[in-house]
Amino acid sequence: MSSHREAPEISMDPVADSTDVYAFVSPDQPDTVTLIANYIPLQGPAGGPNFYQFGDDVIYDINIDTNGHGEADITYQFRFQTEVEDPDTFLYNVGPITSLSSPNWNRRQTYTVTRIDRTGQHVLGRKLITPPCNIGPLSTPNYESALAGPAVNALSDGSKVFAGQRAEGFYVDLGSIFDLGNLRPFQNLNVFGKADGLRAAPGVNATKFLNVHSIALQVPISRVTASGRPVIGVWTTASRQRVRLHGSEQGEVVNSGPFRQVSRLGNPLVNEVLIPMGRKDFWNTQPPAHDKQFAQYVAHPELAGLLPVLYPGVFPNLAALDKAKTARADLEAILLTGIPKGIVSGFTNFTGSVQADMLRLNTSIPPASSPNTLGLLGGDPAGFPNGRRVFDDVVSVELRAIAGVTFALVDSTFKPDAAAGELTDGLTPADLGTPYLDSFPYLGVPYDGYDHPSS
Amino acid sequence: MPELDPADRAAARQADPAGAGSPSRRSVLRVAAGAGAAGVAATALGRITFPGRAEAVQARTEPDARHAAAEPDAASSDPIVVHVRDASVGDIEVFRGTTQVRVHDRDLAARIVRASR
Repeated sequence: MSSHREAPEISMDPVADSTDVYAFVSPDQPDTVTLIANYIPLQGPAGGPNFYQFGDDVIYDINIDTNGHGEADITYQFRFQTEVEDPDTFLYNVGPITSLSSPNWNRRQTYTVTRIDRTGQHVLGRKLITPPCNIGPLSTPNYESALAGPAVNALSDGSKVFAGQRAEGFYVDLGSIFDLGNLRPFQNLNVFGKADGLRAAPGVNATKFLNVHSIALQVPISRVTASGRPVIGVWTTASRQRVRLHGSEQGEVVNSGPFRQVSRLGNPLVNEVLIPMGRKDFWNTQPPAHDKQFAQYVAHPELAGLLPVLYPGVFPNLAALDKAKTARADLEAILLTGIPKGIVSGFTNFTGSVQADMLRLNTSIPPASSPNTLGLLGGDPAGFPNGRRVFDDVVSVELRAIAGVTFALVDSTFKPDAAAGELTDGLTPADLGTPYLDSFPYLGVPYDGYDHPSS
Repeated sequence: MPELDPADRAAARQADPAGAGSPSRRSVLRVAAGAGAAGVAATALGRITFPGRAEAVQARTEPDARHAAAEPDAASSDPIVVHVRDASVGDIEVFRGTTQVRVHDRDLAARIVRASR
């Protein structure tokens, strides 16, 4: 997964578990950037009666580094509050929820947005409402037009915000990846798949018909960049108070102490795939500015060593690179510093020498008229790893990069294996269960529980 | 002595630049909890007053600056949670509202440990 359930501790705390971060110049509003942080992974749409919601006891931040030091110069902070109209019913809704003010909606959640920057803390919106979860055609009719659309709010600084349930937009064949890397399009080449006589098969999207909760912002570029520095670094964090007590008289949980970061996400798959099990939860507590301590896992990724073992004879050049213990300067640039000028013609998202896992977006690059889901690898500099759009195929891009495709950019004597440029988990946006939207918040209408009861 | 995390070190330096505990920092820890709760080795319940000790040192960790505005000051009814990190050196954390105080007081730690049995 991009970062769903990626570390042992946070996998047991879904409301604080960040799953994906997106940052891109808005295709329909190119003087703005859209920043999206997703939380609460793998939601079955029928998960009632207590349908999914953000944590009232969690602080959610979208952080922006404007000068390359790996620390937040601007933070958009989100705090949620749940209100129950009638505590004497077990029902989420007592009739159709036809509008955000419907009296039939029993448990609703509002939120406050605060911008924190060098001038101080500025509340941009209070009591903003999240839409209900998409329950089904009787409970939440006309979901997008009546409920989700009206929940897009204008903030006092000219930005737009949305917080609520969305269809999962990240597509990935988890079933094959975590079954000993048995990528379905290449099962016949996998050492175990070959032994079992498996034949190549189409990829299967494990997140199809599942939902997430999104926090989405659309902000004028001028509000999130420093003068003369068009590249920003973006990541999200979730924080909880240090102490959590169970067993009060009313059955409530009581929290105490200062907030501490428990979840972090910048580039997709970094904590998931590169950081070893014993350090994943610690990684989640650290700021990007301290990522030098993890740089060894980027420079020498475990997966690069596994690919030649899982696919014998398919990656001889990668195997030689691994055997020579060559530091992967390509991955360090893509994930930790940004790509300097001169590596990819006409492109850079370099932020300086500080190694920090952030999603780096060069905001001066306009949206693509014909986007390529492989982003920069596909010749489209408006896509990952220049930020990340909702449809970018980050699994294939990172598999190929780790397999050595991008190492040739920093060492012209290296010849990537032919298979490296073909690596994929066999999926495209066509494998989603519902399309992305053309406008903010871009992620699709969440699947309803009535029509997707067994997701 | 357990190693302090950077935030605790910064708070300790701010609270006690000399590192030995000025008279004003010599701890009189008042625990006047509306509701109590257990740390790893201790529970603070009801109104308890611990007399100060010469070796006691107190360091306050305020909320992260990014999170401070979102948090109201601790109310008098907020529970106080005491966590004895290492009784042998008197290393204690006291949580209230969104703040945390680090106390170093062997006698206090020993009394809490005794009270927990």
